[in-house]
Amino acid sequence: MRRRSLLAAAATTTLAAGCGAPTVTTSDSLRGRITYGVWDVYQMKAMRKAAKEFERTHPGTTVDVQLTPNATYWTKLRTACSGGSAPDVFWLNGPNFGLYADAGQLLPLDTEGADAVFDPGDFPADMTKLYRWKGTQYGAPKDFDTIALWFNKELFDRAKVDYPDGSWTWQDMINNAQRLTDRKRGTYGIAAPVRSQENYYDSIAQAGGWVISKDRTKSGYADPKTMEGLKLWVDLIHRYRASPTLQQLTDTDPTQMFQAGKLAMGWEASYNAATFWADPELRAKIDVAPLPRGRHRASILHGLANVIYARTKYPALAREFVRFMSGKSASLIQAKYGTAIPARNGTQKPWTDGMPKFDLQVHLDAVDYSVPYPISTNTAAWAHKELQMLARAWSGNESLDSATRSLTKAMDKLLAQEGKARS
Amino acid sequence: MSPETETAGAKGAPPPVIPVTPVTSVTALDERQLRRRERKFHNRDKWWGYALIAPAGLGLAVFYLWPVLQTLYYSFTEWGPFGGTTWIGIENYRTLVSDPEVWQSLGNTLFYTVLVLLGIPVAMVLAVLLNLKGMRGTGFYRTLYFLPVVTMPAAVAVVWRWLYNGDIGIINEALAKIGIDGAYWVSDPSTVRFAVAAVGVWMTVGYNMILLLAGLQGIPQDYYEAASLDGAGRVRQFFSVTLPLLSPTLFFTTVLSVIQSLQVFDLIYMILGANTAVGPTNPAYSEGQTVVMLFFQKSFYDNQRAYGAAIVCVLFVLIMALTALQFRLQKRWVHYG
Amino acid sequence: MAETTTAQPTRPAGGHPAPGGPASERPAAEPPAAKRRVRRASRQGRLWPAHVLLSLGAVVTVFPLLWQVLTSFKSFGESTRVPPTIWPEHWQWSNFSTVFDSIPFGDQFVNTVLMTLIRTVAQLLLCSMAAYAFARIRFPGRGAIFLGFLAVLMVPSQLFLLPQYQIMQDLGWLNSLQALSVPGMFSAFGTFLLRQFFLGLPGELEEAARLDGANPFTVYWRIALPLARPGLLALGILTFLWSWNDLMWPLVVNTDPAQMPLSAGLASLQGSHMTDYPVLMAGSLLATLPVIVVFVAMQRHFIQGIAFSGMKG
Repeated sequence: MRRRSLLAAAATTTLAAGCGAPTVTTSDSLRGRITYGVWDVYQMKAMRKAAKEFERTHPGTTVDVQLTPNATYWTKLRTACSGGSAPDVFWLNGPNFGLYADAGQLLPLDTEGADAVFDPGDFPADMTKLYRWKGTQYGAPKDFDTIALWFNKELFDRAKVDYPDGSWTWQDMINNAQRLTDRKRGTYGIAAPVRSQENYYDSIAQAGGWVISKDRTKSGYADPKTMEGLKLWVDLIHRYRASPTLQQLTDTDPTQMFQAGKLAMGWEASYNAATFWADPELRAKIDVAPLPRGRHRASILHGLANVIYARTKYPALAREFVRFMSGKSASLIQAKYGTAIPARNGTQKPWTDGMPKFDLQVHLDAVDYSVPYPISTNTAAWAHKELQMLARAWSGNESLDSATRSLTKAMDKLLAQEGKARS
Repeated sequence: MSPETETAGAKGAPPPVIPVTPVTSVTALDERQLRRRERKFHNRDKWWGYALIAPAGLGLAVFYLWPVLQTLYYSFTEWGPFGGTTWIGIENYRTLVSDPEVWQSLGNTLFYTVLVLLGIPVAMVLAVLLNLKGMRGTGFYRTLYFLPVVTMPAAVAVVWRWLYNGDIGIINEALAKIGIDGAYWVSDPSTVRFAVAAVGVWMTVGYNMILLLAGLQGIPQDYYEAASLDGAGRVRQFFSVTLPLLSPTLFFTTVLSVIQSLQVFDLIYMILGANTAVGPTNPAYSEGQTVVMLFFQKSFYDNQRAYGAAIVCVLFVLIMALTALQFRLQKRWVHYG
Repeated sequence: MAETTTAQPTRPAGGHPAPGGPASERPAAEPPAAKRRVRRASRQGRLWPAHVLLSLGAVVTVFPLLWQVLTSFKSFGESTRVPPTIWPEHWQWSNFSTVFDSIPFGDQFVNTVLMTLIRTVAQLLLCSMAAYAFARIRFPGRGAIFLGFLAVLMVPSQLFLLPQYQIMQDLGWLNSLQALSVPGMFSAFGTFLLRQFFLGLPGELEEAARLDGANPFTVYWRIALPLARPGLLALGILTFLWSWNDLMWPLVVNTDPAQMPLSAGLASLQGSHMTDYPVLMAGSLLATLPVIVVFVAMQRHFIQGIAFSGMKG
């Protein structure tokens, strides 16, 4: 099989070279075989379908969709990039973007003029901004996810609590979570896990705090408002006793607890909607509402982007493919398969229509009050520390004050190292 | 994981003194004659020796020794995520010495190793039972005990997480029946190391049992007969015949277990949930983290590959030292021949 | 080979006593058949505590795997139930067919078989050659080279992932059968194991052949290798087992699903936000089946190989 693909590659290159020599036309550079690196098996169908569509509309091209599970995707990608064998086009997420953009591993994407790969006007501004590094656009937003309050109607009915709606504040959520907690049955009002994107990044923004400074050099964990956003969760466990403990949440994943009907509420990302929908029994029992409001209304916006490897042999074809993936038809294909919300404005309808019993408009509306996902050059290094150190406060082993103090110190140090590496 | 290190192995038990039968062969050459001939062959043989070793040796050098040397070099550098190294001397090692995470994980790994070694007596008991005279169904038992060795970690880890679950796990459900309130085994700092070691024993007991069983079957029956003629009972036979004659196998099993345990990684990693996004938030994470897990985290996720390299070099030295120590100590308890 | 009732083959060569098998196999002084039956029955009677212990241990050992089997028959919804159900509500056989829809099972099975075969055959040949040289031929630097081999054993395998990946990348072998199999063809463990085995073999036959003018390779190939059959079998079985389940390396080096072995193919079923565990379990059961069959069929040889190898001293 290997040999066949080698031959095929050889054939296409000689073919391209053969006819490219006499008459140089733009379409010749748009032939060939490119690879597309992705990591989620549940989006494979959609990605393959989109790739097929691209091949159909661009004769002479082949797109190999390559799946590497998340566990090894990043390790491998880094090695492949340094060795020159990375896929021509691949997925990237926020936490990893800085590293690749900063090291010059990505091809800049035009967003203006005739060569524009996509028009930023067609996408949520924060999504475009997330993949912009020092004034240059490197990623074309592929999809996005927002956070909302998912709830179990059955448990609300049993406790005679009104379903949550857009008017809820933190206090409403706390009070009702307490009423919904029934330890005898083993059900809890809400889950307070140490999850950044789904939980504390949102609450920090709602409290008016910040995770990292705009110039990405300082940690925001010493800010009292940031602390407020964290305290909400610690209190839900220890003070209000409306959430399972961190140990319980470690043993059973909170999303799974919610699916099993053991949680009345959960802050969940939009990508879980398809998972919930897949279980017909669960489908009827649950729905979704906007996150409650703290000082502000906020939801973290994150999503993936398609990027082009700087050393691709087919830059023109790769650009054309990314252009296609950012276009309407590819976005609609993604929406139809339901796992991810396409980032392109006005193409989300098939996603909401596919799961009519859920009020998914909530997730789309969240874009209006969204906050971008916090990143720096080497996000992974401090994000790991962040989880580890905050967990000490969540478990009650350490006070929130002391945990955030050491976190601020560790994070500032790592950010200073980034600064040093840059200069 | 590549088979080589997963199995690991040990430095050769010194040329085993398998009872070399007094020469009864047709070619009854005396010692001196033999030696002279040997010398004559020696020079030509030399090249044969190199030639026979070359294929395996070159492969190992390219794919295994070279990476080790590279890693050693990188441990003295600052290593960019996409290549590019700067020599920084022993800086990484200096950081390492004052890094509590490193010490904690070293301690965890050693603790784990000691507990897993306690599985050897268990394997021993099983092997002795299977070797009892007239025992039936040995093939059946052997297969059952060996199953954990051949299953896929990704699937088995999920099962273990369920078993250990503090709220709904089978283990706690069983304990509840006898009135014991079970712990959150893998998310409680005080139990995690025992829980993880139990899985370690589960993984290795079948393999060790087979090694020991093989050793037991190699003990000539006459020895037992002689002992029983001397009036030794079952128990005394075990201590005066079985144990000494089995000591080389026990030694081998121990050396192997120590090396494997010090390198333990994937199943534990998954049972702690470290492969998930919220892995590091497990309250028992730092008590469960092994050295290889820390190495993996640093070099594969945190983009601190050089530091990871330093950590794994320390582990390498530790494994060598412990193995050498065991060889030193073997004279005290291992009986050859 | 059949179970305990068959007599053990005698030791390959040399005048060692044949390892004593269970007593029932030994041609002891023949008691009359009836008496023997009575004795065996009474012996079985006395063995029941052993059986109880062994069965208890077996239940504990097998329980997690049993759980895996049960889960492979549950629906996705049921598998996420808290508390979990033990017996599947509806036996969902379709999980097994879903495996075939989700990954190119046939291709990956073939890849697994080829990878395993190449690694096993190569290891048997290369390791035995080197092992023979280490055990029987004297040459300058032998000790040092052998130490180099041993050093490899003490390195955690995760260390090799990236450097080996880089080598494959430089060779242009990514996504190929070579990439899957080549690094696994060389084994320090195998060399070590077989060296021990050769050291345990009596050397007279080899000496005689040498005196007749045969070169060391001929002696190795014609005389030592046939004698080493049990050791080769043991190494072969071990290599087979480990290579079949090898996960990390294939996952890193081959991304094309058609080029993956089963272990990696199944791992790629784990999504980033959800995993259909029943399907994963079903897949891993299907994938493990051949290994179990091989073990059941070969365990007797396996144990003999280990028993005969130098490990027992």
